[in-house]
Amino acid sequence: MADIIQIVVLGLALGGVYALMGSGLSLVFGVMRIVNLAHPSLIMGGAYVAYWGFRLYGVDPLIALPVAAIILAATGVLLYKLIFEREAKSAKYSEMTVLLTFAIAMIVEGGLATAFTNTQRVTSPGYATDAFFIGSVFIPKGQLYAGMVSLALIAALALFLKYSRFGYAIRATTQNREAAELMGVNVNMVGLVSFAIGIGLAGAAGALVSFVFSFFPSKHWEWVAVLMSLVVLGGMGSILGTVVAAYVLSVLAAFVGYFFGATWSVLTFYLALFVVLLVRPQGLFGEKPEMA
Amino acid sequence: MSNIGETSDILAQRKTYNAGLSQVSDKSRATWFPLLLLALLTALPALQLVGNYNYLIHLVLYTLCYVVMASGWNILGGYAGYISLGHNVFFAVGGYFAGMVFARLGISTIIIAPIAGLVAAALGYLIGLITLRVRGPSFIISSLALVMIFRIAFENWHFVGGAAGVSLQANDMDVQWAKLPYYYAFLAMAAFALWASYRIRHSKFGLGLRAISKDEVKAESAGIDTRFYKVLACAISAFFVGMAGAVWGEYLTYIRPNIFLVILISVNMVLMCILGGKGTVAGPALGAVLIVAFNEFFVATLGASAVNIMATGVIMAVALMFFPNGIIGTLAKHRKLPRILNWD
Amino acid sequence: MSELLEVKDIVAGYGDGPAILNGASLTVQPGKVHCIIGPNGAGKSTLLKAICGMLPVRSGNVRFKGESLAGLRPDQILQKGICFVPQERALFPKMTVRENLRMGGFSLKDQSDLERRVDEIEEQFPILKERRDQHAGTMSGGQQQTLAMARTMILRPDIVMLDEPSLGLAPKIVQQVFDIMKVMADTGITILIVEQNALLGLRNADWGLVLDLGRSLFEGPANDVLEDDRIQELYLGGKKVA
Repeated sequence: MADIIQIVVLGLALGGVYALMGSGLSLVFGVMRIVNLAHPSLIMGGAYVAYWGFRLYGVDPLIALPVAAIILAATGVLLYKLIFEREAKSAKYSEMTVLLTFAIAMIVEGGLATAFTNTQRVTSPGYATDAFFIGSVFIPKGQLYAGMVSLALIAALALFLKYSRFGYAIRATTQNREAAELMGVNVNMVGLVSFAIGIGLAGAAGALVSFVFSFFPSKHWEWVAVLMSLVVLGGMGSILGTVVAAYVLSVLAAFVGYFFGATWSVLTFYLALFVVLLVRPQGLFGEKPEMA
Repeated sequence: MSNIGETSDILAQRKTYNAGLSQVSDKSRATWFPLLLLALLTALPALQLVGNYNYLIHLVLYTLCYVVMASGWNILGGYAGYISLGHNVFFAVGGYFAGMVFARLGISTIIIAPIAGLVAAALGYLIGLITLRVRGPSFIISSLALVMIFRIAFENWHFVGGAAGVSLQANDMDVQWAKLPYYYAFLAMAAFALWASYRIRHSKFGLGLRAISKDEVKAESAGIDTRFYKVLACAISAFFVGMAGAVWGEYLTYIRPNIFLVILISVNMVLMCILGGKGTVAGPALGAVLIVAFNEFFVATLGASAVNIMATGVIMAVALMFFPNGIIGTLAKHRKLPRILNWD
Repeated sequence: MSELLEVKDIVAGYGDGPAILNGASLTVQPGKVHCIIGPNGAGKSTLLKAICGMLPVRSGNVRFKGESLAGLRPDQILQKGICFVPQERALFPKMTVRENLRMGGFSLKDQSDLERRVDEIEEQFPILKERRDQHAGTMSGGQQQTLAMARTMILRPDIVMLDEPSLGLAPKIVQQVFDIMKVMADTGITILIVEQNALLGLRNADWGLVLDLGRSLFEGPANDVLEDDRIQELYLGGKKVA
């Protein structure tokens, strides 16, 4: 029994981090219909910001988090202005943007590897290796803090989307871009801001990831498939769905890891993706086909 | 009643417009060019008689391997419009199947290649049944996940040597001639792949695939069995990629997950088709020549593989943003495509 | 006669594709119902999209109340007082009817007035009040069209442009759509409607305009357009049915 509680606790702690990694992706997909394959590579960028902040100046990754978020959000604005704004009218938009984000992922990966080599890194503030004990159940402090910060950020995002006027505009654009435009929403601005928020969240997630996982530039490919399974399972574009999927799959993966070994744990995410495609292609919270 | 335009003028225009709709565009083709190319490539190894051109032969062989793969990818990705980032799975399956038969039974992979292709095609059919249920982004994502699954599976499958793989015996020919069996195998496969691409494009099946790529719902309502067409396209596509994989393993003298199941191989297939011209016959071949040339150039001048990855990304982004129809497509659109490159 | 909206010789098309509109012109007079007819592909919908800013105008100009609309974004043109209801009705399927109405007032400078305006619309269209908490995506086609048209009234615009509002609706429901259009016209809103069913459209309009191959062919009082022999021949399917 204690074992089971332990597995669930570890799964949940990790689930929080995955939820944050996935929610920016989900937001960008929802508003822009861009499957951002570069998202994990940008998370990697955030991780390097936190890593060097800690390594060079001893800045705690949790303090570096807003800095990473801002730097990445600015990168997001740049990418949007340079690339995605002009693609908005493209006839093969969704296909084009997927391939473009793929190209961006390669550029980011190659850039990071050129600058920082492919050496494995991890940020190691004191709490990263420390743990709380409740009875015999241990909770690693690093994962706990990361999971809690993630939840707080996701909650803030949800409140912003639900109650602010701009959030209203974002939700409207997600549901029907043309209609939002006709209601007087400046959809290009909505796109820009949501893209910046989404990539900013990648930066924030990167700061957390930097002390939860070890990382090196080409590792983002492993994250791509994991995060994509969350987004597909949750229903493309549903942030709530992504968060729920992150928790469910992380706990499931923790069980698989416990019973079959760590190698197979990550397979849970990929197989879940296929099961979803077979059983319920629109995902847990997916949209029904759009109105005729 | 006020009369804005020149009424009779507009009415006349409508008549011409209607007449124009029924016009058929004429096509000019230069069949001699691909045949000449084939003859030249067949004769190329004769250079070995006058010097050591092993490196050149390797480069051409490598390019031909990609011509087979990119042409195969093009059948699903170009004709039917389903972009797969996971086609190296078929490359791996073909490679492992033929490689293991070679390692255990000693039958050359060149002979096994068609069977390896069929094994890959069968797998492609099964995978297609699952992943082709979804369109667009979900399909692309599922194809990526496929690579991850196969990578983990092969790395942990002891029968095929896990992450270390299996080494295959090199042939005992003189080093000057050792590459030639593989060279001719790839040349034959490339010619076959291009011929098949042409035939498919001009068949009812190919027309159906192109209809699917334009508008799947309309294609279905026009009576095309879209489900079967897509899955069949996936299988045929996998066949070629699997065949290429079969011979590639023996050529390298080992099979290992990290020579097949790396994302860069998938990227190359996609990139070649985009750069050359997706959905055209000549596009993938032209793209293969260009990308192999680019890669050699970057490795020769910049060395590091990290820079190479970045450069590949930049080329891909630029190609997508400025030539989304690829070289062949862009030239054809402006009616400037030289006749020798019109293989459609 | 003062013109509310004046479109002169505009050329427009999608992306970098060929021009769909090749010098189309029209004038819109305040308070009237204008109906644009023409065969498939004549550029009717394209014309409306070009006016509301969803498609860039390549040449020619659009003047509203004497002021050029060149280069303005759709949200800026909306602010000036031109609303557009596209064929797809532009609803938010996962928002409730009431939220959809609120979105109709998104561009209001003074948001404090919004709730009262939404209430007014609900009074005017009881079906929307009845369904206020239902997701728009779950309503019938006729109800969705009602919502889409009623929603434009929140802004109290000068002009509402309707793109084939009757599309896909049962004949009985189609008349309701034209009734709503009359209600809107009675509140002083000028209407510009595109209708595939030329007879039906012209009978419900004051002014008719024929478009073909991206150019304006005729315009005149709706009855005159209906009576014209050439129009009969080409676009109304032969001899007029009595």
